[in-house]
Amino acid sequence: MTQSFPIQFIGERINPGFKSTKALFDNSDIRGIQALAVKQAETGAAYLNVNTGSRALTDPGFMVEVIRAIQDVVHVPLSFDFPSTEVQRLCFRAYDPAKARGRKAILNSITEHRWGLADLAREFPLRVILMSSERVEEGVAKGNKTAEQIYGTCCRGVERLCSEYSLTADDILLDMSVSAIIADTDGLSDNTLQAMTLVHRDPALGGVHMMGGLSNIAQQLPPRAVDGSDLKHSLECAFLTIAVPRGLDTVLGTPWRQYQPLAEDNYVLQAYRTFLASRGSNALRAVRKFYRA
Amino acid sequence: MNMNDDDERRLVQLLADMNEDEGAALAKKMLLEDKVAPLRVLELCRAAMEIVGKRFEAQEYFLPELVLAGEMLDNIGKIAKPLITGGLGGDTNKLGRVLIGTVHGDLHDIGKNIVTFMLDINGFEVKDIGVDVPVQTFVDEIRAFKPDVVGLSGFLTLAFDSMKETIEAIDQAGVRSRIKIMIGGGQVDETVRAYTGADAFGVNAVEAVALGKKWMGATV
Repeated sequence: MTQSFPIQFIGERINPGFKSTKALFDNSDIRGIQALAVKQAETGAAYLNVNTGSRALTDPGFMVEVIRAIQDVVHVPLSFDFPSTEVQRLCFRAYDPAKARGRKAILNSITEHRWGLADLAREFPLRVILMSSERVEEGVAKGNKTAEQIYGTCCRGVERLCSEYSLTADDILLDMSVSAIIADTDGLSDNTLQAMTLVHRDPALGGVHMMGGLSNIAQQLPPRAVDGSDLKHSLECAFLTIAVPRGLDTVLGTPWRQYQPLAEDNYVLQAYRTFLASRGSNALRAVRKFYRA
Repeated sequence: MNMNDDDERRLVQLLADMNEDEGAALAKKMLLEDKVAPLRVLELCRAAMEIVGKRFEAQEYFLPELVLAGEMLDNIGKIAKPLITGGLGGDTNKLGRVLIGTVHGDLHDIGKNIVTFMLDINGFEVKDIGVDVPVQTFVDEIRAFKPDVVGLSGFLTLAFDSMKETIEAIDQAGVRSRIKIMIGGGQVDETVRAYTGADAFGVNAVEAVALGKKWMGATV
């Protein structure tokens, strides 16, 4: 499936956050998980993210079983989504690069606060997702709120990953932490887009990838926009219309969804721009404009 | 509620229908010009909030309506409460105390902040102790604040372990029996609740408020 935007997809569906996938996990339906992997690969996923949710804690062996089963049916490399060194190590040990035509798996993800996971780069060939949403300041972990804070985290992380772990720029994916707009009263969505511009313009960050999780944006919003369109899809298109020219080249999303740039007079794109310019309660009022005339 | 008065009906309707400016203006008029009893106006606001909550549950309303309605109630409360005489409207009227924070290792706060706000405007005294809260801080704050309910928030999967550690520490500190613990955020479900040892989980702010009210014996 060809996308209108020049972006690559990390398939997001192997995650119990999706009800249908949760049912597969609950029933240990390995064949169903394999079918989901095949469907994502056939519709153009460049990577498949693997997240078994809380079961990775109680049953880490299941994550290993899932990885091996997926690699039995697709040649697409995988991304391991769990913030624990032990679980990640199990995943990388289970992963067979040869079955992915030599391509490296992705460690999803590290932050300045959870930097210890990066040591896995000394044990395994890997690519890494660096979360831009958190920083450590004077030993204390803090959430990034401004574009400068997000950009600063990206700069420090990339420098460290390249100099201390010998990763290449191409090995690094900066997760720009796309927020759900429904509760974003602090301008985090706007600041994230501004940070993308800063990263995109910085020659020191050339070759590094920028990514975001599309499914976050429209969380908890109703299905239809005022203009009758599928609100979730329209919002994701609106985001990409603004973010791709700023350097976003990778998306954690559902690869069989077709995305296309929106015209400037598109209702949802206009409402999204209004939302991005709003703060506080006005941001909530701007969100209402998506679904209530 | 007996709603014979047109203004009373209209106020509930305006607030429930999210007519913010008109609702606020009418409430102000009723309080300052018509001298309607402030407790009566607050009762009407709560009636409107109940309608908003029901519309949220019916997926007719969404989070923005919930928060904006809460703000309306809060703003009207700021005018009404100073007018209340006889010591009403203070902490003595609170349903109970809630201590809330995001567990250690996790910095997500959006959901927690919404729950804090909704608990507050629904009559709870809430102490928010922030994000990435160490286990011992929860224990110390429980001893100092003496909450009825503790809310543990976390978005990341690693937060499940932190929740479990926190609840175990609360248990070991001997303060577990006098509190109820709710968890929320991310992919929290019954499996996670059982894993962490919490009393209940909630998937949104309305559920958090309903849990709190149920535990305090108040009408949901």
